[in-house]
Amino acid sequence: MSLRQNVHMNPSSRTEAQQCADEIGVFQHELGRLEREGILTLSDDQRRKVADHQRDLLAKLTQVFDIDRDAQSRQLSIGMRVASFLGALALAASVFFLFYQFWGWFPETAQVAILLVAAFGAFGATFAIQRRDGTGYFTKLAAMVAFACFVLNIAMLGQIFDITPSDKALLPWAALALLLAYACNLRLLLAAGILCLIAFVSARTGTWSGMYWLYFGERPENFFPAAVALLFVPHFLDHRRFDGFAATYRVFGLLTLFLPMLVLANWGQISYLDFDRSLIQGFYQVLGFAGSAAAVWLGTRRHWPDVVNTGLTFFVIFLYTKMYDWWWEIMPKYLFFLVIALSAVLLLVVFRRLRTSRIMAGGNP
Amino acid sequence: MTWSRTHTVIAGLSLIALTNVVALLGVAYNRNGEPEAKLSLTQRELHTPYRSYANRENSGLSLSLVWRVLREQFYDYTGMGGSPAWLDQAKMQALGFDTSAPAAYSDPRGRARYEKQLPREVLLVVELDGPAYRRSLELATEQVARAEAKLAASPGDKELGTRAKSAREAFDRETTRNSRLFVVDAGLNATVLRAAYPDTSRYALVRGSVRVDWTGRGSREVQGFISGMSIESINVPFALREVFGGAAQIDDFDQRNRTPFEATVAFGKRFEPWITAAVKK
Repeated sequence: MSLRQNVHMNPSSRTEAQQCADEIGVFQHELGRLEREGILTLSDDQRRKVADHQRDLLAKLTQVFDIDRDAQSRQLSIGMRVASFLGALALAASVFFLFYQFWGWFPETAQVAILLVAAFGAFGATFAIQRRDGTGYFTKLAAMVAFACFVLNIAMLGQIFDITPSDKALLPWAALALLLAYACNLRLLLAAGILCLIAFVSARTGTWSGMYWLYFGERPENFFPAAVALLFVPHFLDHRRFDGFAATYRVFGLLTLFLPMLVLANWGQISYLDFDRSLIQGFYQVLGFAGSAAAVWLGTRRHWPDVVNTGLTFFVIFLYTKMYDWWWEIMPKYLFFLVIALSAVLLLVVFRRLRTSRIMAGGNP
Repeated sequence: MTWSRTHTVIAGLSLIALTNVVALLGVAYNRNGEPEAKLSLTQRELHTPYRSYANRENSGLSLSLVWRVLREQFYDYTGMGGSPAWLDQAKMQALGFDTSAPAAYSDPRGRARYEKQLPREVLLVVELDGPAYRRSLELATEQVARAEAKLAASPGDKELGTRAKSAREAFDRETTRNSRLFVVDAGLNATVLRAAYPDTSRYALVRGSVRVDWTGRGSREVQGFISGMSIESINVPFALREVFGGAAQIDDFDQRNRTPFEATVAFGKRFEPWITAAVKK
């Protein structure tokens, strides 16, 4: 059995199930066209067998993965995803401000008890909701609240008992966010966990030079080890069961790599490197161009559109910031923007040629 | 063994429990036994915060620790860090900073090496109502004397009159309202620092951050700058809220910090502070 057939029979994620349903729709559309044009005619028995098989498959996929069966339900799904994302953020903020509004009215023992009950309760409630929520939208809301309650729990313990701020708090926060993300298949929590990990690894990297951890953001190179680690995670962990997780790691890895490079390409004085400022800036400009071009190349080869888009975005940003540095002061504005427009046209031509060569290499599109 | 939903629930609940236990054990360790230091602070050293838009819904109350550094030119503004004379090149080297490069402002490579050094967390010694405060009082007195002598020489000069009035007001603030808490030393070893400052009712060790100062451009000397304390404000326990409750409700920042009180602040084994007692005065 080929991999494609296996995906149809046993899709492991919602994305694969949706892809399967979409292909059934395309097949039905194409079959109708072929029959109308008299190219292919199925017997009644064949037609019934195909229709029964596809109906059963779609029913199973709908039950297990809550797929969208038509364009209208797909549009509604997008709306629900947006509402769920905004609701999760707002509910987390609401929990935070609710505690802030009333915590001063309680003695310390009650404050700690409330924080513990909220953290344990929200975590337990997330899994209770997940049992009943086939769509996953309400689970996302509950999981975000559970994460917010835990962050609040530890942050408020620090405030109530005057504990010295520590980067170590980021580690259990990351652990809980990742646990919820993998248990409930939630990219929002995955992003929260990744951000906590980036902050922790970067702070630890910074403290090796002796600095106080809170200043880790002032040396952009502190982010590079976290970026490399994130880019390798999808290589070592199989994420086929988790929608968009591998892409999320790759995108955050690239952002953690290219954003510090972009900063250093313009403000070389904040680098660890003990060289002349312009030399450091030049070094990171070259590294930024080469890195983003390499990301586009790798993304194209491996069929990672997320890597291609992120790499391309940074390539363009590096290019335009350099153009600004070189020509903004010396060129008339109309000429400057004309050069920008011509560079965009050049990029379009390059990508069109790339696309054409790929189509030619792969036969029909 | 396959990872089930039950495993996830157990792992999550254990993580929450373990993190809380670690945090609370740390608090218990800090507060266990005799405190490392105990200072009697007043409204001069502990300020209620501004009622800003951001914190107006916060029902909790914490008091900011107001600390100063001694400068030989009298300066009565507090709470923004500073470069005391004792935080010199030798002290900065002892705190782990690289002070080997030439410090001249005209040398860009040397300057860059200092600018690149980020703040480090160190132990700071804070002194309550000690020699540093008395020296500050002397400086304020001398400033008044100088201003009044100049005014006496030119009685009609309006500007000198204003300066003399400002000096008298600064002296008044120094004697009645300004913080008497001064950072007087820094180090990395708590035992060594405590041996040098054994009076635990006058000297406390706290964690704070220090960085290289680059404001003294005419100087070739490397100078340190105290950026801040790791814990800038101390939570008021629920049982003691009444003592500060009235002050916290006053919107005028200047007025609210005139309400007299005395609070005993203990500093524990991890140099983390907490309020043990407070009374209205």
